[in-house]
Order: sequence, then structure tokens, then C-alpha cells
Amino acid sequence: MTMLRIRNLGVRFGGVVALHGVSLDLNRGEILGLIGPNGAGKTTLFNCISGVIAPNEGTIHFEGRSLRFAPPHERARRGIARTFQNLQLWGSMTVLENLELPIDAIARRNTLSDALGLPFSHYAERAASERARAILHALGLGRYRDRLAADLPAGIQRRVELGRALAMRPKLVLLDEPAAGLDAGETEQLAKLLHKVRERFRVSMLLVDHDMSLVMRVCDYIYVLDFGKVLSRGEPPVVRNDQKVIAAYLGEPTPELVEASPTVPEPVITTTIPDAPQLPRTDAVEVAGETGTLLEVTGMAAGYAHLEVIRDIDLTVQAGEVVACIGANGAGKTTTLRAISGVIRPRAGRVTFGGHDITGARPEHIARLGLAHIPEGRGLFPRLSVEDTLRLAVDAAGKPERLEAAYDVFPRLKQRCRQAVGTLSGGEQQMVAMARAILTQPRLLMIDEMSQGLAPTIVCQLFQMIDVFRQQGTAVLLVEQFVESALAVADRAYIFEHGSIVHEAPAEELRRDRGLISGSYLGSAPDSTEAIEVAANGNGHHRVLDPELMEILSMRVPAEVKRALEERAEREGRSAGALALELLEEVNHTQ
Amino acid sequence: MMPGHIVRFAIAIVAFAILARLPVGLDPAFQFDAALAVIWGFGILSLVLLTGYAGQVSLCQATFAGVAAYGAGMTVAGMHGGYLLGIIIGVLAATVLGVIVGLPALRLHGITLAIVTLGIALVFDKYVFQDHIFDWFTGGTGGWQVTQASLFGIPVDSSKHLLTAYDVMLALFGMVAVLMVNLHQSGAGRRFRAIRDSELAASTMGVNLARYKLLAFALSASIAGMGGSFYPRIAGSVSPQPFWVFTSLQLAAIGVLMGVRYVPAAALGGLFMAVVPDVLTRYGHGTFMNRFNYDISYDWFQLAVGVLLVLQLILLPDGVWGDIRAKALRAWDVVRMKPREEVRPA
Repeated sequence: MTMLRIRNLGVRFGGVVALHGVSLDLNRGEILGLIGPNGAGKTTLFNCISGVIAPNEGTIHFEGRSLRFAPPHERARRGIARTFQNLQLWGSMTVLENLELPIDAIARRNTLSDALGLPFSHYAERAASERARAILHALGLGRYRDRLAADLPAGIQRRVELGRALAMRPKLVLLDEPAAGLDAGETEQLAKLLHKVRERFRVSMLLVDHDMSLVMRVCDYIYVLDFGKVLSRGEPPVVRNDQKVIAAYLGEPTPELVEASPTVPEPVITTTIPDAPQLPRTDAVEVAGETGTLLEVTGMAAGYAHLEVIRDIDLTVQAGEVVACIGANGAGKTTTLRAISGVIRPRAGRVTFGGHDITGARPEHIARLGLAHIPEGRGLFPRLSVEDTLRLAVDAAGKPERLEAAYDVFPRLKQRCRQAVGTLSGGEQQMVAMARAILTQPRLLMIDEMSQGLAPTIVCQLFQMIDVFRQQGTAVLLVEQFVESALAVADRAYIFEHGSIVHEAPAEELRRDRGLISGSYLGSAPDSTEAIEVAANGNGHHRVLDPELMEILSMRVPAEVKRALEERAEREGRSAGALALELLEEVNHTQ
Repeated sequence: MMPGHIVRFAIAIVAFAILARLPVGLDPAFQFDAALAVIWGFGILSLVLLTGYAGQVSLCQATFAGVAAYGAGMTVAGMHGGYLLGIIIGVLAATVLGVIVGLPALRLHGITLAIVTLGIALVFDKYVFQDHIFDWFTGGTGGWQVTQASLFGIPVDSSKHLLTAYDVMLALFGMVAVLMVNLHQSGAGRRFRAIRDSELAASTMGVNLARYKLLAFALSASIAGMGGSFYPRIAGSVSPQPFWVFTSLQLAAIGVLMGVRYVPAAALGGLFMAVVPDVLTRYGHGTFMNRFNYDISYDWFQLAVGVLLVLQLILLPDGVWGDIRAKALRAWDVVRMKPREEVRPA
């Protein structure tokens, strides 16, 4: 039976089309996956379903009733719960309170009786607290019960968010990136947990995640969004092998590559790369005298607040080399660049650049040594003109470079030198960012997501620029979503997965062996379910949902008995469910 | 009642017994300060609910108090009603204004909401409290003169029975304070706090944002109004000056200074706001060691609040009460030798 029916949903933000003609059906009891590259509209769709934004067109029906005029809290009462990509726990409340709130928000409690502490409120309070405790135990969060939510590590916060959504007794749970920041083992645990949650709580789920291994394992059916439209849909194996999906994630394969690649039969789409404009190349192209290792990173770890994003990163860049970092979103590529350039402080390991130890040095100091970093989103000042932006870079670097040098490389910028950077097209903005970087005469240029949001032709030109940099002796470290193009220009590549480097190989080799890369992006099929069982049970530091416990907790047992049971189970390091069953057995025997 | 309720009730009674004794035997000027302290205590208490619990900003709490003061004055002096009726009408008037001010808060946040409420405070100060069109409400330039009043048959007029009025107000303050602590620990309080921490999460988890924001404003205005409606009685008349814009700002500043998330901070803040300026103006001038003449005026109080606020934000970010409480709790843990829990990194 169709539980959630979406028809022709359209959302526009100003001139930007976020969703267009999206239709989707979710059946009762199903786990539906929603995947797609950045900016495909996944979170926008979530926001439409939960009522945070109103769609411009289209309809959403939940259990046969339209949600059109239902505000978010009304939708929550009808049984739609959600989690958030950027965690939205109530930080100044304890974990227990975070779970109690949705329980009694649904119950429409009375403010006056709450303030007076009347018996009615008292009982409702007890009931909410009991249920919240039961859910916390079921998710293995019992020991965090009285902590403030803001003080918890992000991984735990994500689980609390799941618990909070379940506390509402929902019929449908929208999960937005539940695996973000989890390592491979924890992701395995999560996959098992979601299946058990579906069984025990009888909920349907809509799951957005960039971690394909999770989506492919957990979901019954998958929708792929790209540029606000449904690109493809089907069961996991179908989607995994869909050429359109692979193209959307990896960039479209170049024709000569397709011939060389045995794993990709008959490309559905072939791209024609337009003739690249003749780039001004100085005849005196000579590889700078510098040789040897320019950048060396050993055992680096870094992260934000309580979240460790990358660990054990070993990475080198030789002088004049182009190196690509590839891997799924959230694999830790951007964090690696930021830790190298000093934007964030590495927590462990060593970074040396051109013989200097720059571990934990200030970013401006690192920049002066000749390491330029173009961040994701380019880091431009939208109201400054092109000329002012470039002048600023020259002044800051203190190097007597003429702006003409940059205009020679990017003639288009010469025409637009008086224009505010914010009014330029995306490709031109990227050119400004690159021009600004090369004016500081860097020895190493790090570019994060250069092609993000750009049309293929522009991307092609930009990649040719990287080739030019190489010929001029500048080393380049690239983080790129368009894997094909990145590998075409790079000498070597590192593959990131879950915050570590899992593979390092010459670019040529990777281009030939597409299976290796698409595995890291789309998740490889589980080799054997047995192995996963073992992995999940073997590292038992996470307590997964315990069916027996749920059974016991739903029985009419006095609260004191329950609590005593839970405490004893915690002491003995066993599951409360097993303990309770054992005790019941004993009682039966003695009788 | 839960054990927590009984404990809170007991604490309130003990606090009442102590505080009620404090001004006995002092000269009338200090007794007036004590009564004024309760009025401003209500003002800051209203901010504890609105800002501390629900996370909304308001710079017009003194306006709510002022509207209630005029409402009470009008009922008693203008319409010759009883004082109980005066309080009820005053609080109702403040509550209505609170709901009206709450309407823009459904859309606005933070600094814009602060500016809007500041505008409301300015408008009421200049064009309601001081304008002839509203003479029926404000009693004209002279204001309402409340010479005698009684509550439940007890005479509570300002000149002779100031301390009786103080006791009545203190008892009411204690009750409201206990109710507010109850609220904080209960479902409704959690909903307010959820709005403060994340409106997005609150609405998608079933909290009716419009309802609870308006409720916060209405309750807050009525609490501020409770204090304000006693003003005509203890001062003997109503004038615009105590309820002008600057008082609202001062309430907000002192609320933050003392710890806007905590109910006891309201009592501290009220005392500070009423007593310190009076002490400064009375004892602030003279000669130090027979050599140096000094003259500290009321202006110094404003300066002191500003400086203290800066120091507090650096040294005691959770307010005077909040940080002292946290330190006391930690000390108590040390005394009991309870191990500190470690947050496990991810």
C-alpha cells in the first residue's frame, strides 16, 4: 500500500530550480533510498515532506490525505518524523529530555497543569520518561541519558536524533545522512540497526546518504535524483549498474577511455568535448629546477569539535606533480586539504612542505611558503572587482608579480577586470580563484572541488589549465568529483574512504580499472553476508537493538523493577532482555 | 505532587520568610526600595521565561509593566474599583499587549526582533504614556494618584502600609517563581526550551511554534504586568518615567548579568536594580579621608551596569547566578568524591 505519494513536485528558489517534476511512491514498511550528487535536491525534498518549505507545485499525500495545508507540527502528529543532516538536537537539554519532548508534544500537554504539577501532568511525565528510557536502551544510548546533547560526539548525536524521531511513534522516518562521519564498522552497525528498527518499531523509512555501501545494503528501492529530477529508480543492483547513475557520480566517461575499459560496456551517453580554446603557453616552458618531495604528510589526523574526520593520512606530492584525491562525499578529502593548509589544526601526525615543518602553523605563514589553497566554494569576495581581487593577492603575497601574468593565462578575465566577482559566471569565478592563486607564485596549488556546479565545457578548459600549471613546474593537489577528468590530468591518485586513504596508484592504472573507483563511490556488493555478520557482531562496542529487551519493556512491569533490571544488566555487561528472560525462566522453574 | 514540587515549595517558603523580614525596621526609603526590587524582580522573571526559556528577545518588558501600572491606576483611581480588580485589569492589559508583540516574533528572530520590540517600547513611552490622546488611560500629566487601597480587606496604601504591600508582592513573586521552575522541568517547559535550541527541530517534532511563541510572550507580559500593577500602590501615583525605554534595556542588561536562564537570578537582579542606584545617590557623595570630595550620581549606575555586563560576558558567561551555581555543584561533586564523567571522543 502506498504510504507516501508525491506527484510532480516542483520547488524554485528565486531563479534556481531545486526540484522539478519529482514523483515518488513509498510503500508501507519499505526502506526507500534517495541518492544523488551534491545539490541534486535531496534535502529540499525532505524539507517539502516535513513541511519546512512549501513546494511551488505538485502534491504530497500521506496515507491518502494531502499534506498541502499541514504545518510541520501537524505532519509530525500524523506520523512523519525526521533527522537532520546538520544535527539539530536541543543542545542545552539532556539526551533523555530530547526524547521526552516529542513524546509529549504529540500528546498535547497542558501548560497550566504542567506549571502547577497536577497529577495528570505527573503521570504523563512518568510515561514519557519511561518510553524515552526504553528507546535509549534499545539504541544502546542508556549511559548518555543525563548528558547534555551538545556535549556528545557527533556520531552519538546522530543516534540520539534517530531515537528522538522514533520517540514520536512515527509511521515514516526521514533519515538525512545518518552515516555521515561514521567509519566503515559503525556504518555496518547502522545498517543492521535500521533493519531492526523497521522490524521493531514498524516504520517505513526514506533514507538519504552519500555512503553508497549503506544505501545499497539497507534499501529496498532507490530513487536517484540529479539536478532536481528523478534520474533513475529501481532496486539496488539495477541502480548500481545504471550507466546514467555512474555518469552522474563519476562524470561522463571520455570516448577513448570507454574503449580501454572492459568493465563498461556500450556507453549510453558519449560526450563530445568541444575543441579547447588555444591557451597561451609560454614557449619557455621549463620545469622548475625543484625536484624531490615537496609535500609530505605522515599519520595525520584532524576533525571538528568532537568529530574526528580523517586519520592516518599518509600522502606525498613530488615537485611538479599533479595528484588527485578522489572518494565519496564525507570521505575526508576536504578536511585533508584544510589540515594541510592550516585552516584547521591537525590533531596528530606531521606535515612538511619544502623541508619546513608546517604542522599546525598559521595559514598565512603556510601560504607565504608557497602553498596556495583554493577552497571549496572558491573563497572569493563577491563585491570586489576582478582587478581588486587579484591586486589583493599580489599585495598580500608581497611578490612583485604583474597582473598581466594572470591575464595572459586567463584572457577572459582581462575583459571583465572591472566587474564585481559575484556577478561573474561560476566558471569565470573559478578562473579568478585560480588566477589569484597563481599570482602568489605557489610551489603547490591545492584545488578543492574545482568543477563543482560548472558546465562540462568549462570544466574541460579548467583541466587544461592544470596541465599548463604542471608544465610551468607548479605541483597540484586536486580534490575532484569528476573522477574521469581528474584522472586524465593527474599523475597519481589517492582514493579516500571513511576518513582514510585506502588506495594509492598511478592515474593510468586507475583509469583502466574502473571497478576500483566505482566501488569507493557506489559501494561494492557485499562479498558475503556471513562476513558482515561476523564483523557486526565481533566488534560489539555498540549495542544494537535488542528485541527481547523491547518485549520486556513493553510488558506491564513496574518501573522500579524495570530500572533494577536495566541497572543489573549494565553492571553485568549483558543485555537486559536476556537477563530478564533468564530470570523469568528461573521463576518458572521454582514454581 | 512530586518530591521536586514539595522541595521547591519549601524553598520558596523559607526564602519568603527570610526576605519578608529583611526590610523590617529600615527607614521608609529603603522599604520603598525593597518593594521596588520585587517589581523589577517580576520584570526580570518575565525575561527568564521569554529569553531564558523560550529564547525570544524583548526590549519592551518595562512597557508591559507600565501598561499594567496604568491599567491598575485607571481602575482604582479613575473608576474607583477595588485594588484586586485593578491588578486583574492591569495584568490582562499587559497580556493582550504581549500577544500583539508576540505576533511579529512568529517571523522575526534575534536582532530584528530586538529592534521591533525596542520600537514598541519607544512608541509607548512617547505616544501613549506621555500623549494627551491617552489621558483616559494615563490620567494626564499628573498621572493617577492612588492614596488608599486595600486588598482582601487589608489596607495596603503606600504611606502607612508599605511593608504589607511588600509582603503581598513577595508572596506572589514566590508563587510565580515556583510555578516557573515547575514549568522548566515539565513538558511545556521543554517545548519552550526546544524552540530556543532549534526551532526547525521543534516544529518537525510536533511543537506548534506559533502557539508556544505567543504563549511565551503572553505569559512573560503578564508576569511583567504583575509587578507593574503594584506600582501605583507602593509609589502612590503612576508616571511614565519608571517605565521608559531605558528601564526595558536595563531589565534586559541586568537579566543577562545575573543569568537569564535562572529564576533566582530574577530576585538578585531586582534587588540590584532597585537598591544599588538608591544607595549610590544617597551615600555616593561626601569627602574621602577629609581630603577628596566625590559625588557619585545615578549616572554612575548606568556606567557600572555596562562595565559589569562586559566583565560578566567574559568571566561568567552564564550569568552571575548561573556560574556560581555551576561552581557550587562542581564543588559538591568534589565533596562527595563523585568522579567526573569523561566525554568519549568519536
